[in-house]
Amino acid sequence: MPEMTLVQALRDALAVEMARDDRVVVFGEDVGRRGGVFTVTEGLQERFGEERVYDTPLDENGILGMAAGMALMGLRPVAEIQFVDFLWPGFDVVISDIAKERFRSGGQYGVPLVIRSPYGGGVKGGLYHSQSPEAIFAHIPGLKVVIPATPSEAKGLLISAIRDEDPVVFLEPKKIYFGIKEEVPEGEYTIPLGQARVVQEGSDVTIVSYGALLHEVLRANETLKQEGISAEILDLRTILPFDGPTLLESVAKTGRIVIVVEAPRILSVASELAAFVAERAVDYLDGPIVRVTGWDTPFPYALEPHYLPNVRRIVHGVRRALGLVP
Amino acid sequence: MQAPEHGTLTRPTPFTREPLRFLNEEGLPEGDRDPREVTGLSDAQLVDLYRAMVLSRKVDQMGWILVRQGRAGFYISIQGQEGAQVASLLALEPQDWVMPYYRTPPALHVRGATLVELFGQILGTNADPSKGRQMPAHFGSRKHRIFVLGSPVALGHVVAMGAAKALKYSRENAVVISYGGEGSTSEPHFHSAMNFAGVYRLPLIVFIFNNQYAISVPRAQQTASETLAEKARAYGFEGYYVDGSDPLAVYWVTRFVAERARTNHTPALIEALTYRLDPHSSADDDLKYRPREEVEAWKQRESLARMRRYLEHLGLWNEEKEQALHAEYDRAIEEAVEQAEQAGPPDLEEMFHEVYHTTPWYLQEEAREARRFAEEQEGSHA
Repeated sequence: MPEMTLVQALRDALAVEMARDDRVVVFGEDVGRRGGVFTVTEGLQERFGEERVYDTPLDENGILGMAAGMALMGLRPVAEIQFVDFLWPGFDVVISDIAKERFRSGGQYGVPLVIRSPYGGGVKGGLYHSQSPEAIFAHIPGLKVVIPATPSEAKGLLISAIRDEDPVVFLEPKKIYFGIKEEVPEGEYTIPLGQARVVQEGSDVTIVSYGALLHEVLRANETLKQEGISAEILDLRTILPFDGPTLLESVAKTGRIVIVVEAPRILSVASELAAFVAERAVDYLDGPIVRVTGWDTPFPYALEPHYLPNVRRIVHGVRRALGLVP
Repeated sequence: MQAPEHGTLTRPTPFTREPLRFLNEEGLPEGDRDPREVTGLSDAQLVDLYRAMVLSRKVDQMGWILVRQGRAGFYISIQGQEGAQVASLLALEPQDWVMPYYRTPPALHVRGATLVELFGQILGTNADPSKGRQMPAHFGSRKHRIFVLGSPVALGHVVAMGAAKALKYSRENAVVISYGGEGSTSEPHFHSAMNFAGVYRLPLIVFIFNNQYAISVPRAQQTASETLAEKARAYGFEGYYVDGSDPLAVYWVTRFVAERARTNHTPALIEALTYRLDPHSSADDDLKYRPREEVEAWKQRESLARMRRYLEHLGLWNEEKEQALHAEYDRAIEEAVEQAEQAGPPDLEEMFHEVYHTTPWYLQEEAREARRFAEEQEGSHA
């Protein structure tokens, strides 16, 4: 298997699906000649032509409306929003049209489309190139929300997202676009949506995370191992519909849970998972449910290192869950 | 008059300062052109057009009755716009796609939707192709190539643009028409739809009913543009300003731009000057913002009156035929309402279906929970 970065794996996924299915069309700002500002779509226009890979005007609303209309007619559009922070002019299309199309039509219509967009901090991007709005999308019935954490995961999940009958917001952790390489299966490779991945089995505490922060959790795990703490690490990977059963199974085994996300804490994905565990598994819990998150502020520029959850804060969260610190 | 460029029709003049029309306010042909020649409409088609307009008016009147009787929760009227709505729909071909707006549904029988389906939507029963999922005035039907509209104004324009892109991509010989009021031209969606349609040369017709009020806000407060039609110039294609109370002019312009769009993917904007004879909706009081005399004056020159006078002028219509038509439609509508109501409300589980293609685990749980509470409630009422 070839080694790939996350960007290469995404490009590979797009190429595989475009070669397989004429209905797959890729568009967005700078995705054509430029190949995307992060180069995810590099070479695709040369290979598949300007009808299937093309640049759009600088208008997220138009991009998303175009995606919605094309999907309505049976195509499989993959729209790129250059940074998810810039999606909001088109949010009405997402929340009022895309998410509700199947339901409001009584199943007459559906919009199988993918909105690909880089998200998240760690790139010195300041307020508008760093946010993690996954909970905003996950609060909208009708959408699916997917976040990959490694190159092979990115490929398998993106292909599944393109093939899915429902609209998928596919958020890509830009911090690890280029920094991580791993072997990625060639050709058609899918990972089912809605299933969490058990990254490491353990017995003392369940740590749930996703995206770039999963790698911070893995680094924290080195410290935990030295302290003799056995952590079960889950990669949520599909935010909606999230894999409740796997989460419960893990908590039933470990009795402790730490949820690590980089978004602001209040009403975050961590909040929903915490409430879910509290409602369903309180009898299994031997300690407090702990959320390790970004702070409830706009994303800072100069103080970014203090905003994002890091090894120290994750380890501290685990110690709290275990009752080792107050 | 210019020679035909595309298809069979002579080319209407874009960007006029006065609305294009054949019929004056008395319903009599003005100018030197015979509208039958320009539009290609036969006598039989002219009568069909009028019949469809009358049916739309009567469907609408029944919609209001159902609200007053408490059988429907809400209603939005087409009255005053029947001519432009019906004529533009009739100008399309079966392979074309329609993005309605909330005043379009009473005319959608033109696309083949049955009266039972239309009233099923108003009543929220299983007779609605969309299973009662939305409030009245949101009819859509895939088998008739009618999209399902949402409530946010102008949202349909930007989605219709995407549908037009798909038609072009798939090399289908069809157009998308997207309807909206003049208020919709102020929304960002209008801009996005128009801009993308121009850049990609899409087979999209944006059809604007300038009925002069967006709820209470008059046209002059939506835009400083002299006409709405001229906005098309900035997007690189043509806009047509047409008298919306003249169904023949609307038919001509719509049919021309539709034929052209199917042939060479030229988008178009149409502004139909109309007047909303009813309040904005069943929840509005229009006397708060416009004088009764203004409404009464427009009733004298609206499309139904004009078209009837034109048919009478041609010797194609009379009072006897009018009475017979009303009797026929009264019966048909009464039967349709009854049948639509008998279809019954959707099953409780329908709330959880079609949120997704495959219902996820938590929605299955919620469906069971809702069912349990519903049964308990029924039990306590017994």
